[in-house]
Amino acid sequence: MNALQPALHPVTGRTDSAGRLTDADPRLLDLIGRAGGAIGQVVAIPEIAALDRLARRLGIAIARSIVVADGDDDIELEVRAEPDADGVLLEIGGWRPRPAWRNATAAEHRDGDFVAVEADWVWEADAALRLTHLTLDAGARYGFDAAAMLGQPLVKLFALAEDREGGFPILGAVAAQMRFDGQEAELRGTARKVRLSADPRIDARGHFAGFVGAVQMLCEGCAAAAGAPDGAFPDGFGVRLDRSLRRPLERIIANASSMSAEVEGPLAESYAGYADDIASAGRHLLGLVDDLVDLEAIEDEDFSVAVERIDLADVARRAAGLLSVRAAEGNVRVDRPAADEDLPATGEFRRALQVLVNLIGNAVRYSPTGGMVWVRVERDGDRACVIVADQGKGVAPRDQALIFEKFGRVDPGEIGGSGLGLYISRRLARAMGGDISVDSAPGQGARFVFTLPAR
Amino acid sequence: MRGPLGSGARAIIARAAGADARARAALRTAIDDAFLAPDARLDDRTRATLGALIATLTSAIEGELREHAGRLLTTRGEGGLADLMAFEAPPVVERLAAAGLLRDMDFIGECVSRIRAEMIGAALPFAASDPDSASLLARLAQSSDRVVAGAAAAVMAGESQRRAAADGGSLPGTGLPAPLHARLLWWVAAAMRERLAEDAGERLPALDRAIAEAALRNLAMRDDNDRLEAAAMRLAAAIDAQGDELPALFDEALRDRRVALFAALLGHALGVSYELARELVIDPAGDRLWLALRALEMPRDLIARIGFLLCEADPRRDVEIFADTLEIIVAVDAEAARVAVAPLRLHPDYRAALLALDARAPRR
Repeated sequence: MNALQPALHPVTGRTDSAGRLTDADPRLLDLIGRAGGAIGQVVAIPEIAALDRLARRLGIAIARSIVVADGDDDIELEVRAEPDADGVLLEIGGWRPRPAWRNATAAEHRDGDFVAVEADWVWEADAALRLTHLTLDAGARYGFDAAAMLGQPLVKLFALAEDREGGFPILGAVAAQMRFDGQEAELRGTARKVRLSADPRIDARGHFAGFVGAVQMLCEGCAAAAGAPDGAFPDGFGVRLDRSLRRPLERIIANASSMSAEVEGPLAESYAGYADDIASAGRHLLGLVDDLVDLEAIEDEDFSVAVERIDLADVARRAAGLLSVRAAEGNVRVDRPAADEDLPATGEFRRALQVLVNLIGNAVRYSPTGGMVWVRVERDGDRACVIVADQGKGVAPRDQALIFEKFGRVDPGEIGGSGLGLYISRRLARAMGGDISVDSAPGQGARFVFTLPAR
Repeated sequence: MRGPLGSGARAIIARAAGADARARAALRTAIDDAFLAPDARLDDRTRATLGALIATLTSAIEGELREHAGRLLTTRGEGGLADLMAFEAPPVVERLAAAGLLRDMDFIGECVSRIRAEMIGAALPFAASDPDSASLLARLAQSSDRVVAGAAAAVMAGESQRRAAADGGSLPGTGLPAPLHARLLWWVAAAMRERLAEDAGERLPALDRAIAEAALRNLAMRDDNDRLEAAAMRLAAAIDAQGDELPALFDEALRDRRVALFAALLGHALGVSYELARELVIDPAGDRLWLALRALEMPRDLIARIGFLLCEADPRRDVEIFADTLEIIVAVDAEAARVAVAPLRLHPDYRAALLALDARAPRR
């Protein structure tokens, strides 16, 4: 898919020393005519007239990309104005229709953002295809000297491979000044395969000024993994997901929250409400990102937990404390272990807290208004147990295995949650030498027991 | 029924007692804010970028101190303190900001100048060069002069690093000038100590020793020459452009959106520091830059192009005003311009003292 349509050939026009149009190619004259102008008048398109006047005053050739309205459409033009003794020579290229939703100023930066999001690392090159920017960390990660590659021809870093038709996508893209993707290559000296994609940089005269590009690492077995039925993750998926989604989401949530709180000034109530919806949807997505990042981590062969001496009663109190606001919003009371109770256990503090936040959070979510959630701690032989019980609708015995499965949900229509929380929690509990179990009957609430080795 | 006051009640009474003063302070802030001239105010994007840079700088230092101090403590059998060091905590930047330490003219001045220069670089229009000829730094990096080639490569690498850091990557070193780096480092060290002092209890001296040693090691490992700004100045000095070569270099540096190189070329040609040259480049009023370019006898077309490009890249500038003043700028005699910019070349400390004195001039 090419993001840019090819540009039409540039056309020219002339203005005299007072900025009046003396001559114009038919396509330009048509455009000016539709804007209500004609030969002998100042150019009727204000953006072009301004550039024309500025070029005459500055006495140098200048160029700008502009967007002009043509009937119901917007078109992107690349205008160059070059003053001479008689007036100004206008050269107008581009002529691309612009979709209405595209933001005029940020468009090319945003293309770069899209490139960066799908990338393991990024590169930029000038019009001569010399590297002008690289993610330097990538050198250490994949075994090449990134700093030494700056200034070098692109092909010194990447040995380009032909595609199935025997062509090189990048070469076609240079010729046509278009986006390319799917250019496979080898990272020289490392035997690593990569896939390159890039957006062209087009200057204000419509000329090719280089590429903003992305690199996707292709590892042995990745292609198979991507299609594997158990949904194994490609290398670095979690890191990439976290990097590309977390910051934008946090921005969305922060901005929407401040809009809904009317920090910058009053808003109509309905708009504040929309902002609130945006913020809560953003928080939901952020929760999903957290879950997916965790999921990838725990499914990694190298996943391990720290072995720490923890007080499980303290962890349970902290988890209940973290959820007190949410509980108060739902008018649910959380009865947590008393301050003087302790329950020495072995596990990783952070992960144990995560498990209990998930269990108590679920209990709060499924509690009826005015309900109660009990968090109790007890020692059972060599096991330290935390019991989280609620007064919700409970879990039928036939569903009790399902809720611990990946994306396992009893009611698929239910809103909120990713269907990953209990799966992740149980994997974490087992990685720490403990477990999570449930006993419940429909209509009688649910009772989850989280155990860790006692000490 | 009235018993002694509980601690909660005492806290409320204490808060109420301070409320007057706080309300007045809030009002003073509101008044300052209301009467800030629009062009003196940071725009939202600059403000956000500044906040992000300060957070990145402090957390880079904090991370390094924690790691090294933690290692020292572990090898000294202070496992408990090492664990404290590793415990998650709110970033020290919040504490430093609350204490007002970050309201430091030099530190914030450097940060604001740095991000403004970066923002201008990112906003400069793309310019196609001859497809058969590489861009300026790419060419210089292949120069047969090893000093030029090394410095050009260092500038490219430095800019790549800064850009990656701005996109959320890690930052190797702060890139601050040595005195500012040291100042920030000790602030961060102090904030870390304050945070851990209570938990460290009687082991505090061991904690102090480890933090201080980690900080000193950081200072010792740091080489001012590694900074992007130093590399750019090194490159400008190695090129040592003569009068007739300078216009093309200025032109190409801006077309390639290499603001650091542009500032370094200007600084070297004028005989001023990188920081001062950068200040001329980012100052939206621009008068000092135009005079400097005239003092260097740069031709009219070049000044017009530089002015146009900077106006395109920096929303604080007005191209119409620039066009209005262009003829006046060009009419300034080179010798008069040299006299006018001569104070820029005074010793930086001397200049700073003169500026400080001027700001406190007796009213006549």
